[in-house]
Amino acid sequence: MWLYKQIRFTALAFTVLVTGGMSAYAQDALDADATMAQVNAVAAADSESRDKFRVLDQDVQSLKKEVLDLNRDLFLLEEELLFPANSQVAFFISMDVGEYFKLDSVSLKIDGKEVANYLYTEREVDALLRGGVHRVHMANLKAGEHELVAVFTGQGPHTRDYRRGATVKVEKGIGAKYLELEITDRVKKQQPEFEIREWE
Amino acid sequence: MLSGRLTTAAISLCCVLLLPPVLAVAADDAEPIVVRDPHYGEVLFYFYQEDYFPAIVRLLAAQSQSQLENHAEQSELLLGGMYLSYGHHLEAARIFERLLANNVNPEIRDRTWFFLAKIWKQRGYLDESQQALDRIEGELPDNLQREAHMLQAQLYIDNADYDNAIALLKSWKGRTEWASYAKFNLGVALVRSGRVDEAAEILEDLGEMNPFNEELTSLRDKANLALGYAMLQAGNPVAAKPALQRVRLEGPFSSKALLGVGWADAEGEAYQRALIPWMELRSRDLLDPAVQESMLAIPFAMAKLDAVSQAADHYLNAIEAFYEESNRIDQTIESIESGRFFETFVDNDPLDSTGWYWRMAELPEGPEARYLFHLLSTHRFQEGLKNYRDLSYMHRNLDVWQQSVDVFENILETRKMAYDERLPRVEAALARADLDGMVDQKLELDALMNDIEQSNDWLALASREEFEMWGEITSLESTPALAADLPEAKEVRDKIALLKGVLQWDLEKKFKDRLWRIRKDLQETGEALVEAQRARRQIDESMRRQPAEFAAFSDRVYGLAPRIESIKMRVEDDLEAQRAFLRSIAVGELQAQKERLNTYTVQARFALATIYDMATTVGEVAE
Repeated sequence: MWLYKQIRFTALAFTVLVTGGMSAYAQDALDADATMAQVNAVAAADSESRDKFRVLDQDVQSLKKEVLDLNRDLFLLEEELLFPANSQVAFFISMDVGEYFKLDSVSLKIDGKEVANYLYTEREVDALLRGGVHRVHMANLKAGEHELVAVFTGQGPHTRDYRRGATVKVEKGIGAKYLELEITDRVKKQQPEFEIREWE
Repeated sequence: MLSGRLTTAAISLCCVLLLPPVLAVAADDAEPIVVRDPHYGEVLFYFYQEDYFPAIVRLLAAQSQSQLENHAEQSELLLGGMYLSYGHHLEAARIFERLLANNVNPEIRDRTWFFLAKIWKQRGYLDESQQALDRIEGELPDNLQREAHMLQAQLYIDNADYDNAIALLKSWKGRTEWASYAKFNLGVALVRSGRVDEAAEILEDLGEMNPFNEELTSLRDKANLALGYAMLQAGNPVAAKPALQRVRLEGPFSSKALLGVGWADAEGEAYQRALIPWMELRSRDLLDPAVQESMLAIPFAMAKLDAVSQAADHYLNAIEAFYEESNRIDQTIESIESGRFFETFVDNDPLDSTGWYWRMAELPEGPEARYLFHLLSTHRFQEGLKNYRDLSYMHRNLDVWQQSVDVFENILETRKMAYDERLPRVEAALARADLDGMVDQKLELDALMNDIEQSNDWLALASREEFEMWGEITSLESTPALAADLPEAKEVRDKIALLKGVLQWDLEKKFKDRLWRIRKDLQETGEALVEAQRARRQIDESMRRQPAEFAAFSDRVYGLAPRIESIKMRVEDDLEAQRAFLRSIAVGELQAQKERLNTYTVQARFALATIYDMATTVGEVAE
């Protein structure tokens, strides 16, 4: 009979697997025969492991902050080095509603020269539809007048292939300039509309 | 000025807390806001794609450049939510503490504290979790309220405060799935506090429920298993058996239940019957401790049934199987200690997903995962893995930046060279451009025009041709031959007078217009001169500032390499520490499995020796 007692104890000592969802709230160890001393021993070991995890986690938290701060500084430095504020022009794509147009790609020409050609993923289009704004291109432009041509490609009403351009003359002065390339729905005509304007 | 755009971002306070997607949708009040700062919209672009790291970086950068002035509070809240999603919970809490102190809707405030409590509980920050729960002042929505109560009960149990846990769980209201979990945890708390009889009643009740989904069925199995073993331990195999038989044959608890059913029969000395569930276990995975145990239970029953020779064979098989399994565990421990195992968690998945909501899509391949299946599902191991992944992401991010430092240095040096090259040319051009002289000239011209206007000097504004013509006419006038008193001379004099009159009339007629045009040109010249003076001042200022700007850039660029290197070293240290932590948990688990196998092996050897002894004794007696 000793064997049975020995065996039975070990069988009870292992815990049952509980994963995910509401079941995560079911306590794991239900050791009906465990003494309080055993429960306390498990709890002490657990507490030690938890403290160890916590010390590590706090280290990771502080590193995350430092890495994020570093990334912020590098992001700004890169931008300032490549696109000084005086000559900087940023081009943003935004979308409102988007019933009549499913965006595939956008290409940009500045003063007749193609500078950007961006193909959108579904995730990106979804982010645009939810109110996100995509910085599709950054450029350095001299003060004076410039011509911007944006060509939008995608699917228009009735899932037909659709390609439309929008042109605007931009006066670049001193200081950064932000241009918004906006895709909206013209409900009356049941057509998309493409506009370029300065974001002031 | 607003750009007048209508693009709206249906983002609300609840949404930015980035609750698990389902909850976020449910909680979203869809209060539309107009994106007024493009940089805010850009942050949202990454946020909506759940790319939290680039979204946070952009938000921090835009904040530091004061580019989010129209979304100051929203962006703070968004940052807090994204920190939470990125697993940066301590920083998130700091933001929420600050923001939630203001006049935030109490419902949102309570909800935020609830999610922080939940996250902290998962991360083992029990005190913080309790404090967050304590800060909830009102009633949460029903589903969250129940979860908050359950969280509270778990915190009580974790702190061995069983009385409070029991009181809370006993007063559970409602008949949802939560009530079943509450009942189960009540059973746990009762067992832990030594009130086993009361616990058995609760578990009996739970074990006989009619579940309507997989989760509840699993909970019922778990309750029956616990009850069955509690009854076995209490020496009541008759009560144990029905509970164990209620556990499904296919499910995570079935092996252990089958083992228990066998023991219940064996306890009543029905060894033949006990062999039925135990033999069923033979076809199952040897990794399962219930299966391992059955390998000893079977020969134990056979010996009781006097099938001694068969029992000896089974013990021998068991010893061999345990030996092989133990060797495999040794190899797994070796693999884990070499560090290869944890790399598979990083290798198998692209590092574009980090943070809080990352979960293992599937177990990595290899023998290790098989042994650590249970461990991989625990909170601490999962959270440790998340940190490990996040650290790996940071390491890779720093690697990429480290390569960019050279590029930055090149850009800066190129700009410096271009500036140095251009500077002498610009200085020479500036020296040539006598702006002050031009201004003086302009002022002189203004004075001259005033004189011309005052004296109505229409001839002064004549064109070159007109002026030459005027000169010719006046010189003809003074020709001596024309002074003669002759009809021909008089005729010429009259013609000259006529020509002169016509020219004068014409010049007088054009005078005002010409005066206006010249004044206008002068005014434009003045404006251009003012603009040129302003540009000159800017150039002078820029030239004055440029060396300092270059110096500041140099400090930033050349300070990068050591800064990145120092953070990277700390990340490497933490990666190693995190790996060691995970390794110690994993190896600990495997050692425990190995110890169990060793114990079983010793028991099998002892039983076998006993059988051999008995056989020898019987043989000697027979002789």
